[in-house]
Amino acid sequence: MPDRIIMHIDVNSAFLSWQAVYNLQRGYSVDLREIPSAVGGNQATRHGIILARSIPAKKYGVKTGESVWEAKNKCPDLVLVPPNHHLYMKCSRALMEVLNEYSPRVQQYSIDEAFLDYTGMEKRLGEPVPFAHRLKDRIHAELGFTVNIGISCNKLLAKMASELKKPDMVHTLFPGEIREKMWPLPVEELFMVGRRTARKLRSMGILTIGGIAAADPDLLKHKLKSYGLLIYDYARGIENSAVFPGYYMPMKGMGNSSTIPFDVEDMHTARLILLSLSETVAMRLRYSQNCCSVIAVSIKYSDFKCCSHQQKLITPVNCTMDIYRTAARLFEEAWDGSPVRHMGIRVTGLQRDDRIQCSVFDHPYYLKNLYLDRAVDGIRDSHGIRSVVRACFINSGICASLGGVGSENWPVMSSTL
Amino acid sequence: MKVLNKPVDMIAVFYSSGRVEPVKFKYEDTPVTVHRIIKRYNEKLAGNRRICFVCINDGAKVYELKYEVDTQVWYLFKM
Repeated sequence: MPDRIIMHIDVNSAFLSWQAVYNLQRGYSVDLREIPSAVGGNQATRHGIILARSIPAKKYGVKTGESVWEAKNKCPDLVLVPPNHHLYMKCSRALMEVLNEYSPRVQQYSIDEAFLDYTGMEKRLGEPVPFAHRLKDRIHAELGFTVNIGISCNKLLAKMASELKKPDMVHTLFPGEIREKMWPLPVEELFMVGRRTARKLRSMGILTIGGIAAADPDLLKHKLKSYGLLIYDYARGIENSAVFPGYYMPMKGMGNSSTIPFDVEDMHTARLILLSLSETVAMRLRYSQNCCSVIAVSIKYSDFKCCSHQQKLITPVNCTMDIYRTAARLFEEAWDGSPVRHMGIRVTGLQRDDRIQCSVFDHPYYLKNLYLDRAVDGIRDSHGIRSVVRACFINSGICASLGGVGSENWPVMSSTL
Repeated sequence: MKVLNKPVDMIAVFYSSGRVEPVKFKYEDTPVTVHRIIKRYNEKLAGNRRICFVCINDGAKVYELKYEVDTQVWYLFKM
């Protein structure tokens, strides 16, 4: 038996099946998973892109990421449902609650994926494979959607295992099974290998994951730099990161941006938009229990010329007003006065917010702002993002929290606005 | 039984123990008193918590009421 047992739990076509279950709960007779359907876009304006599609829609060639218009051409009867991020968060939390009952070491990897460290749980919960079947069936019975579970001795192989065959399956991929189960797969199936790397690998004559494993590491390093060695290790199933409990996100930064329905030509409007973006970014930052020490502002002018400007802060912050003040100053410095069509705020240099070094240069109301943000977050969490808005947005025609999936009145992703 | 999932006005008892019990509701302006609850269970589909009650009136008329915890709305789910 290997030293560690790691499970990867992955929801099958998450957004779509969550919506399908929610609809069934509300008494709809049609199961979205059984008809050609997709989540995404705006039905009325036929804008936006497909975020998730059902298996019957897949048969028509509907792809994730293509525009609604293209998808409708391929499949005229496609049933479209708007994205509902609030519901996805609810489903995701419910899934995590179930997983946390079994192990203290559960890492949420994305909205619909999690790692569970099963090491040492055998005595209490039994062998891993029967347990995984029980867990999968329990999630199906209790929460209504199906999951794939991959079992192995590290996170990489567990993730690869859960992706083998869908839906509603349990797979193992222990090092002894790599040759048989993973190596025959095409290169782009390997974690971290995207379309572009796949093209490069193919030009080198490497077509399968086994090909990467058998390749000369020096050649991979020469062609792909250190990343070549990483995928070489991955192809051989070598990876040993720990399962970080909770909301650990190995991310380096986050940001929100938005194309504005009109061109911004004055500082007052620009400030309002920056404040609105700061609200969204700061809320996400606080939710992830992080602070940022670098703030960057990006501007796209109406002629599609872009520029950005950033600043490193003395003390890390996560208050809306702190982020806004810096962003507004950066914008003022970077803006050349021509009409702006798109603005964004990005924060990096993240660190945990449980210990913060204060500074004498902090804003005098630093603590008050901190408590205020905490209170406002609490209200918005239970009553919706628009339950509390800043008075300056009243009658301004600008959404009080622009950009991203945190706002309920904004589509998750869109190619055009 | 037919699925309705219609929100209804409800008079319910919330016991100090945390238990909830429907007593009387109004459906299309007709008041209905709940005679007997024959089954209760929790539902957590799509992470949305609902407390479900299978009720019976006059010994034969079975219907289902659901209380959605997040929105605090009562539904006549099936009749």
